[in-house]
Amino acid sequence: MIAGVARYKEMFRQALRIRLVEEKIIELYPSDKIQSPVHLSIGQEAVAVGVCEHLRREDLVFITYRGHAFYLAKGGSMPQMMAELYGRRNGMSQGKAGSMHLAAPDVGVMGASAVVGSTISVAVGAALAARLKKKDQISVVCYGDGATEQGTYHEALNFASLYQLPCLFLCENNGLAVHATLAERQSYKIAEHARVYGLETIRIEDGWDFTKVGDVCGEVLKAIRGDGRPRVIEVLTCRYKEHVGPGEDYAAGYRSHAEVQAWMAKDPLCTDTALVQALRPALDAEIDEAVAFAEAGAMPGIDDLLTDVL
Amino acid sequence: MNISPTNLSPISSEIMPARMSYREALAAAMREALTRHDHTVIIGQGATDFKGIFGTITGLHREFPGRVIETPLSEDAATGVCIGAALNGLYPINTHIRADFGLLAINQLVNMAAKQKYMFGGLFSVPMMVRLVIGRSWGQGAQHSQSLQSLFAHIPGLVVLMPSTPESIVRSYAHAVAHHAGPVLVLEHRLMYELVFDTAMHPPVTNPFGSHIQRVGKDVTIVATSIMVLEALRASANLARYGIDCEIIDLHSISHPDREMIMTSVAKTGKLLVADTSWLAYGVAAEVCRIVAESDPGVLKAPVVTLGMAPAPCPTAKALEDLYYPNLRDLMSAIVRLVRGADDPAIEMPSEHSMSDFYKKFRGPF
Repeated sequence: MIAGVARYKEMFRQALRIRLVEEKIIELYPSDKIQSPVHLSIGQEAVAVGVCEHLRREDLVFITYRGHAFYLAKGGSMPQMMAELYGRRNGMSQGKAGSMHLAAPDVGVMGASAVVGSTISVAVGAALAARLKKKDQISVVCYGDGATEQGTYHEALNFASLYQLPCLFLCENNGLAVHATLAERQSYKIAEHARVYGLETIRIEDGWDFTKVGDVCGEVLKAIRGDGRPRVIEVLTCRYKEHVGPGEDYAAGYRSHAEVQAWMAKDPLCTDTALVQALRPALDAEIDEAVAFAEAGAMPGIDDLLTDVL
Repeated sequence: MNISPTNLSPISSEIMPARMSYREALAAAMREALTRHDHTVIIGQGATDFKGIFGTITGLHREFPGRVIETPLSEDAATGVCIGAALNGLYPINTHIRADFGLLAINQLVNMAAKQKYMFGGLFSVPMMVRLVIGRSWGQGAQHSQSLQSLFAHIPGLVVLMPSTPESIVRSYAHAVAHHAGPVLVLEHRLMYELVFDTAMHPPVTNPFGSHIQRVGKDVTIVATSIMVLEALRASANLARYGIDCEIIDLHSISHPDREMIMTSVAKTGKLLVADTSWLAYGVAAEVCRIVAESDPGVLKAPVVTLGMAPAPCPTAKALEDLYYPNLRDLMSAIVRLVRGADDPAIEMPSEHSMSDFYKKFRGPF
């Protein structure tokens, strides 16, 4: 791992890369070239970048439908992702996945589900296989605060703790399930509750700070590699955009714009404009190439419709 | 999926002796899966207990340490665990002592397992098996006896099988573990578990995931599933004495029925009776009718007849349960009316006994 300023710059670059990709998606969206619902990670990039800093290629990450950030941070191909959003044959799933089901198994990005909470137990199963097959591998599952309300979350925590499996439960708590706030949905505190299952749990409040997220995740992942036992991290974060789609919906009144602005005031991607300017040209060039790759892709057709069903 | 016949090597008499119960075939299939394939694990509630899924995996947890795994009462998570394990190199076999409990896992089965391959354009596959036991015996009531095959067979991506003989079990389970990299759901019928089969009496299985002709005949085609195949064989044996010659197709592959086999048979007999273990609406009976209606309805010389459970949840009281399921007399009467056009008083009908009275070889609640 690189230290100090160089580390900050590299993590910043990765987070900015994700944000710029999504800003490109926002720019392209009105053209209707991307006919797939997009759940943007803008505001939440630091979580993905921080966690992935300490993951190895062979470690598995089970992501959600808000998955662009983790897909890119773990090393998924940007051109293939863009082509996938375009619904083209050169997308990594030939257009059958779209934005909500990103995957890149060659770098450990396991498929995203659009049904909240449904990958949590799947990640536990992957950890079980890692244990039985004696693989040196951690299974990370990302889920939002809303997923903790699903029964399957509780079942999965219990299972992982019971069998002491090498997995990291990573809760990206942005405080919103679509438009409902935590206070409207939860009678418990996520981190406190997870401890009931005998799981070591850490809560990170500065979810905008990729180095902080990276530091904590590094320690926790090291501990999991050491003793093979599961752990939970809850990271507070902030979704800047609407639940689904390219816009902002502060006018809808379900949350306070001021709170988001307070978060942005701490977000290095918003504040460190000099570094943004310095890094932007190279990133823009990479993104333009990815878009060109997508635009050049062929449409899937009748020959693809019934492949890979069984 | 390849459902065309394949060249199968003979099954050794060690795995399938001349006389063998349904349960023994399941036990042999489970032992074979663990012995031949190091990456196989069995996961389920009661997997390590002394009853061992009705004696099909008893003691295997000691023989194969770490590979037979008890689970909390968490069907959804246990299924997810199996999917994740399959994605990461294992072949999980998930057991449910009642098919009804599988409904708690329907999100994982329908939204996840069935779609992992297609939804990601072939990047993933989930080779795994789910064993669902249809709990019908007596008094199992509305939530312990359901036959849910059509519910699952409706979903693209799932293979749904209902084995009716020991050979069918041995063949299809071995094929699933060794050759099919996707989710396979098998519905086993509890009433057959202790039934001892004379294995040579059934025609050899040529296609592990296909349909099988169990009896060749010329007067009527009976397409049957699971225990109804055995009922059809009993009915046919009785009716043969009166010159009624039934052809019986053991559908077996609920998700991928052999359309050609069905059409060839119906074209020959001109008459079709479907006998399923479940409800008729939107089910196997409806699907078989769709196949005929779409392919060549002109081959039918009489309206199709269907037999299945009454359109209600299953009642518990034996008096009601006996009315709820068709019995041998119902089946024979239906065949006679279809073949002869009316009841035939010359044909002696069996007394009104329920199937569970005939098949149930065990006492008690399980």
